[in-house]
Amino acid sequence: MKIHTYEKLWLGAAMVLIVGFIATITYGSVGLGITMIGDDEPAIEPDALDEDERFADPRVEHVGENEYEAYVVARTFLFQPDPIEVPANSEVTFYVTSTDVIHSFSVVGTNTNTMVIPGEISTMTVELDEPGEHGVICNEYCGSGHHNMEGELHVVPEDEFDMTELEVEADDEVAEGDEVALNVSIENGMLDDLETTIEAEIGEETFEEDVTVEGDSTYETTITVDAADLGEGDHDWSVTVDDYEDSDTVTVVDELEDDGDDENDGGDGDE
Amino acid sequence: MSNTFVDAYPRQSRLIRQAFLTSFVALGVGAFFGLLQALHRTDIWRPIESSTYYTVLTGHGVFLVVSFTIFFLVGVYQWAVTESLEREPVDMRFTWFWYGAMVFGTLLAAIAILAGFTDAIDISADVLFTFYAPLQGHPLFYIGLVIFVVGTWLAGADWFRTWWAWTKDNPDKRIPLPTFMVLTTMIMWYISSIGVAASIILFILPWSIGLIESLNPTLTRTLFWYFGHPVVYFWLLPAYLLWYILLPKLSGGRLFSDPLARVVFILFVLLSTPVGIHHQYLDPGIAEGFKYIAMTNTMFLLLPSLLTAFTVVASMEHGARQRGGTGYLGWLKALPWREPAFTGMALAGLVFAFGGFTGIVNAGMNINYLVHNSLWVPGHIHTQVGTAVALTFMAGSYWLIPQLTGNRLVGRGVALFQVLLWFVGIVFMTNSMYRGGLIGMPRRTAEPEYDGFEYEIAAGSVGELNVQLALGGVLLFVSALLFLSLMLLTLFNNDSEPIDERTIPAPLSGPEDSPAVLDNLKLWVAIAAVLVVLAYVVPLASIASRGGLFGPDVSPFPVSLETIVSVQFITTVAESLLANLGR
Ligand code: HEM
Ligand SMILES: [Cu+2]
Ligand SMILES: [Cu+2]
Repeated sequence: MKIHTYEKLWLGAAMVLIVGFIATITYGSVGLGITMIGDDEPAIEPDALDEDERFADPRVEHVGENEYEAYVVARTFLFQPDPIEVPANSEVTFYVTSTDVIHSFSVVGTNTNTMVIPGEISTMTVELDEPGEHGVICNEYCGSGHHNMEGELHVVPEDEFDMTELEVEADDEVAEGDEVALNVSIENGMLDDLETTIEAEIGEETFEEDVTVEGDSTYETTITVDAADLGEGDHDWSVTVDDYEDSDTVTVVDELEDDGDDENDGGDGDE
Repeated sequence: MSNTFVDAYPRQSRLIRQAFLTSFVALGVGAFFGLLQALHRTDIWRPIESSTYYTVLTGHGVFLVVSFTIFFLVGVYQWAVTESLEREPVDMRFTWFWYGAMVFGTLLAAIAILAGFTDAIDISADVLFTFYAPLQGHPLFYIGLVIFVVGTWLAGADWFRTWWAWTKDNPDKRIPLPTFMVLTTMIMWYISSIGVAASIILFILPWSIGLIESLNPTLTRTLFWYFGHPVVYFWLLPAYLLWYILLPKLSGGRLFSDPLARVVFILFVLLSTPVGIHHQYLDPGIAEGFKYIAMTNTMFLLLPSLLTAFTVVASMEHGARQRGGTGYLGWLKALPWREPAFTGMALAGLVFAFGGFTGIVNAGMNINYLVHNSLWVPGHIHTQVGTAVALTFMAGSYWLIPQLTGNRLVGRGVALFQVLLWFVGIVFMTNSMYRGGLIGMPRRTAEPEYDGFEYEIAAGSVGELNVQLALGGVLLFVSALLFLSLMLLTLFNNDSEPIDERTIPAPLSGPEDSPAVLDNLKLWVAIAAVLVVLAYVVPLASIASRGGLFGPDVSPFPVSLETIVSVQFITTVAESLLANLGR
C-alpha cells in the first residue's frame, strides 16, 4: 500500500497521542487510585428495600475512627436521608440504591457522581476534608418531577458533629397520686463514648445527671417526680442533652378519666 | 444540456428527494423543540409546564437524531450507490418499501410521543430517546422504533443487492469508494443495531405490553449502549462520505488518498461497537475491568477520525493550490469561501475537531465523573451530531438538492449567511453548555436551578450562561428556518440554469494503490464479530447473572455453570492485571 510520508508521520503522531491518553488514564486510575463505580456489592431486590438491613432505614453510620458509611435511597423524586450529615476530615463511603427507576446521586460540582440503578448498589468512597454544604441532585431523567429531585450533603465542622439522638417519652396526663416520669433515651451513633449531662426541668423542679453513653449504644434513664409535688394543672417540662432538647407539657389531674386505659403515652418526638 | 443527477436517474432522484423531505420535516419540528428547550431551561419563556418539558425533549432527541439524520443518510447513500455504481436498484418497489417502512415506523413513534402533549389521548412516551427502562412508554413507541430500524436494515440489503448485481458485470473491479463507504457503514449498523433490537424485542416491548412482569434495567441499558455508540458513527459516516467525496471537489481539487479512506471506514467497522460501555463508566454492577477495556478501545477509535482530519485538510490544500493558492497557510485564502456548500462543511469540520477534544474528556474514565450527565454532554452532542453532522448535511444539501431537482439553488448569499449563523449560534450555545456542565448543571432538566444550593462559578455568572444558551438557541433556530425556506424555494425554482458538473474527480492516490484485501468485506465482518464477542459476551453474561435475565423477580436465567466460572475467571484475570499495573 502506498502511503505518503506525511501520512505516515501523522499516523505515527496519532498513535503516540492515543497511547499517551491511555497511559495517562491508566496512571490516574491505578497510580493515583482514583476509583470508579464497580460491581463490589451484590445485586439487591429493589422492591424489598424495606426488608434490607442497610436500606430499610437510610442513614449515616460511624464505622471507624474517621470513617463513615451512608446508606442512601433514591426514589422519585427525593433522596433519603436528607440532608446527609457527616463531619469534616472524614472518609465517607456512600451506598446508594433505587427503589423504582434509574436515578443518579450527584454532588454538584464534584466528581462524586454515580448512576443509581434499581437492583444494584453504587458504592463510592469520598474524602470530605472541608466543612460546607453541597447540593445533591439527580441528573438522570427519572420522570415528570425529575427537576425537583434534590437533596443536601452537609459536611459539619468536626467539633460540631455528633450522632446523638435524644428521645423522651412522657404521659400527657398524670393522676395526682402518681409519679410524672420522663423516659429519656440517648442514642450515641458514634463509636466513641459520649460524655454528657442530662438537664431536665419539670415545672419548678430541675435535675442534672452526668452520663457516659457508650459508643454505638443507647442509654436509658427515667426521671421522676411526684405529681403531688407539682400540684394540679399544666406543667411544662424539658430535657436537654448538649444541643438537643425535647419538651412538652404534662397535666396533673385529680383522677384519670378512663381508668381502663392508662397506657396513654403522650409526649414523644425526637431530636 | 445540463448533466445533473436527476437527468440521469429521475426515479432515484424522486426517492432521494422524498427521503430528504422527510428528514427536513423532522429537522423543522426538532429545531422548534430545541428552541423551546433553550428558552424553558433558562426561564426566559415557559409556554409549557415543566412536566411537559420531557415530552418536548423526547421529541427533540428522536426527531433529530433518529429521523433527521437517518432519513438524510438513506438519501445520501442511495445517491452514492447509484452514482458510483452507475446502476439503479434491482427492484425499485423494494426500495420504496423500505422507505415506506421507515416512514411508518417514524409515524408510530411520533404519535406516541406527541400524544404526550394532550390528556385527551391516553398515550405517551416521555422516555427520551434513550428510553431507559424501568421508565415505560406506550408500546406504540417501541413498535415504531423497531419498524424504523427494520426499514434501515432493508435499505442496507437493497444496497448490497445493487452491489452484488454490479459485481456480476464487473467481476474484477475494486468497489468504488462511495459504495465501499455505504457497505461498510451498513455492516457496522447491522452488527450494532442488533443490540437495540434485542433490547426492545426481547425485553422492553413484551414488558410494556405486559407479557413479562419485569426486566433487568442494567441489561437493557447495556444493550442500548452496545448500539448507542455505533449509532453516533451511523450519523457521522454520511457526513464523512460527503467530506471525502464532495468536499475535495468543492475545494477545487480531488481526494488525497482513496486507500486511506477505505482504512478509515474499516476501522469504524472494527472499533465502533466494542466501546459502548464507555457510556456506563458510572453504572453500578459493571466491573471496573470492563470499563477499562472500553476506555482503551475508545481511544483507538480516535485514529480513524484523526486520519480523516489529515485527508480532508490535505485534500482542501490540494484544491486550494489548484486554484492558485500559495504559501504556508496562504492557500487557505484561495478556498471557495463564497460557496455555502464548501464553507458550511469546512465550518462543520472545524467544530468537529473541537468537539472531538471534548469527546476525549468524556472518554477518560475518571474525568468522566465530573461531566457525566451534566450540560457538558449536550454541549458535546451539539458540536458533533448537532453541527459536524447537521451542518454538513445542510451544506451538502446546497449542492445535492440542485442535483436532485435540476433547479438552481435559490439565495446563494442567504445560504452562506445561514451556515455562518449556525456556526455563531453553536458557538454561543455550546460555550454555555460546556461551562454550565463544568459547574455541575445537569442536562435533561426543565429547571436547572435548585432551591437548596447555588452553583459556584469562577468566571461569569449563571445569568450570563443562560443568556448565551438562549441566544445561541434562537440563532440556531433562525438558521434552521432559513435553511428550510431555501430548500423549499429551490424545490419550486423552475428557472433552472446550468448547475455544477456532477462528476467527482478521481483521487490523487486511487484504489490501485491499496491491497485488494481492503475490499474483502467478509474478513472485516469476521474480525468485527470477534471483537464484539470479546468485548461484550462476558459483561452481558455477568449482568444477566447478577440481576436475572428478566430482572430479579423472575427466577434467574439458567446461565450454565461454565459461563459463570469463565466469567469469574476472566474478571479475576482482568482485576489482577489492573492491580499489578498499579504496583
Ligand atoms: C435549533 C437548534 C437546536 C437547539 C436550540 C437545541 C437545543 C437543545 C437543548 C437546550 C438541549 C438540552 C436539553 C436538556 O438537556 O435539558 C438539547 C439536547 C439535545 N439536542 Fe439539541 N438543539 C438544536 C439542534 C439540535 C440538532 C440539529 C441535533 C442533532 C442532529 C440535536 C440533538 C440533541 C440531542 C441528541 C440532545 C439530547 C437529548 C436528550 O438528552 O435526550 N439538537 N438541544
Ligand atoms: Cu431524576
Ligand atoms: Cu460513545
